[in-house]
Amino acid sequence: MILKEMTYFKRFLIVFICGIMQIFYAAYLLLNLFGYSIDWHISNHDLFMFIPGILVFVGSGILTASYYLGDKKINNILYDEYTALRYYKIASIGYVLNGIGIFVLFSIQDWANWSFQNANNMIYQIAAFAWLIFGVLLTIFAIGDYKEYKNG
Amino acid sequence: MGKHHQNLLNNLEELRKSAGLTQQDLSESAEVSRKSINAIENGIYVPSTVLALKIAKTLGCKVEDIFKLPT
Repeated sequence: MILKEMTYFKRFLIVFICGIMQIFYAAYLLLNLFGYSIDWHISNHDLFMFIPGILVFVGSGILTASYYLGDKKINNILYDEYTALRYYKIASIGYVLNGIGIFVLFSIQDWANWSFQNANNMIYQIAAFAWLIFGVLLTIFAIGDYKEYKNG
Repeated sequence: MGKHHQNLLNNLEELRKSAGLTQQDLSESAEVSRKSINAIENGIYVPSTVLALKIAKTLGCKVEDIFKLPT
């Protein structure tokens, strides 16, 4: 049903929830990695950290399936060229910010005492930073897209 | 002429209204979102050739009647 009849609201919900989850988890991971751990008592910590990944996987799966299997007329409207242009703009901002972020993350590493542990941490930092940036951008996109649909 | 994009002048709002169509009607015939029509009318967005031709077909005019290059 959701695949056949995607709407602006359903798309907004999927992208917004995925974006918020990405922000939440990436911020949590980044704080941990930089030693500003929030004292949360999550019982099954490692399993819990899979939730955003699963959500984003399922969310993007639903969007992709609805794009290819859904009503063509509805999809022409939902995924028209103006929406695509907005998405490309947001994606390019994301790449630029990630590029700057990776540069900064590289610069602040302790290269004099480099170890596998440091390398591992840096990979996590880069991944969390990219998730955070794209989470923020996805949330902005979702809100802007839905607001334009309602008022624009 | 209505509100313009810096690279393209457009007359869409006027032609649409004189054809008695709402943004929603036009968007449905051109198979795009209403916000795309709104963005074109307000000079925020320059449409592709295909979309410009679809709009012109719906309005029963030429693309050149709707869009003009700034002189």
